[in-house]
Amino acid sequence: MSHGDHSRDPCPYVILNDFGGAFAMGAIGGGIWHGIKGARNSPRGERFVGSMSAIKARAPVLGGNFGVWGGLFSTYDCAVKGYRQKEDPWNAMIAGFLTGGSLALRAGPRSAFGSAVGCGILLGVFEGVGVLMNRMFAQPIPQMQLPEQAPAAPAVA
Amino acid sequence: MSFLSGLFGGSGSSQPVEKEVSASSELFNSTTFRSNAIPSDPSSSSSSSSSSSALPQPPTSQAPAPVTPAPTALDTFGTAFDPARLHPLAGLGENLDFLALDEDKLNEIEGSASVLPSRGWTDDLCVGTGTTYLSGLVVGGMWGAKEGLSRPLGNNPSMKLRINSILNGCTRRGSFTGNSLGVLAIFYNIANSSLDSIRGRHDTYNVLGAAALSGAIFKSTAGVRPALVGASIMTAAAGAWSAFKNTV
Repeated sequence: MSHGDHSRDPCPYVILNDFGGAFAMGAIGGGIWHGIKGARNSPRGERFVGSMSAIKARAPVLGGNFGVWGGLFSTYDCAVKGYRQKEDPWNAMIAGFLTGGSLALRAGPRSAFGSAVGCGILLGVFEGVGVLMNRMFAQPIPQMQLPEQAPAAPAVA
Repeated sequence: MSFLSGLFGGSGSSQPVEKEVSASSELFNSTTFRSNAIPSDPSSSSSSSSSSSALPQPPTSQAPAPVTPAPTALDTFGTAFDPARLHPLAGLGENLDFLALDEDKLNEIEGSASVLPSRGWTDDLCVGTGTTYLSGLVVGGMWGAKEGLSRPLGNNPSMKLRINSILNGCTRRGSFTGNSLGVLAIFYNIANSSLDSIRGRHDTYNVLGAAALSGAIFKSTAGVRPALVGASIMTAAAGAWSAFKNTV
């Protein structure tokens, strides 16, 4: 493996990337989802119009929800990484805990804590599955072949 | 495996002892302390001169071996990779291969260099959408905060009521502005990347065309006339931004 993950930007900039990625995922996926749903819920002959109005009304909102979640998670992830100076599954769990808590903050501290614990557990399950998959599909490290006998002569005379 | 056999003197004993001497002389010639430790017997010097083509030296200079500077990390990684310039004891030949070096290639379309290095159209889409969405969120949040601050709440409103009003304004205006601008940015970035890959280069015409296209798509459900208005507004904004970038 190379040193570190070069397929992503360094930490403060990756927040923008995650924000936009999550927003685009929510908006495009919401467009497909609400397009089909709006077409199914419309009477015959109005299907295209119904689908379009459902997309216009709901897809940006879904994109916004996804984007806020992803961006907040990425921000907390970077902050936790910067504070702990480590990269391990605990980062994502702590960031998920903080994200869930922040998003439910207006509903009161009790509800916020419940949502935070739920999000933290969800992210913990994700990370656990990731670790398990990694361990299952990792190539076994081959045993190093040592020479049979001691070196015949030192390399430098 | 060749590296190991070179290091341990060939446990299979297929390698002659002559190879050992020449390898050690190459070691002395290639390192920095060669000036006081050059092996001086003629047989090894002839063998080292015969094998000096494998010595690490820059491709332009034809100087003899003792003048050749040792390769630094910059020489090795700053130019095109040549395995013969690595250490001669390693015994690396032409059969050296790499694990997928081009897995994260940067965007190579001409003229598309931006503030952040981009790895292709998905990166552009994500970063562009994220930046626009975030700025829309901030601007809309400020708009909503101003609205919530100035909203009449009857005489003698409590602090809690005022904060609630401000938060309501932020979440209403901020999400509306952010969502609209984010969707617009998705359209713009997809159009821009498509035009880039169709035309093979990136310039101001691409920007203007993508802006017109995205503005027209964004307002396309309201009718032809609003679509044209939206396209012209977006084109004007993109033109102003391009002119600003060119003057700075």
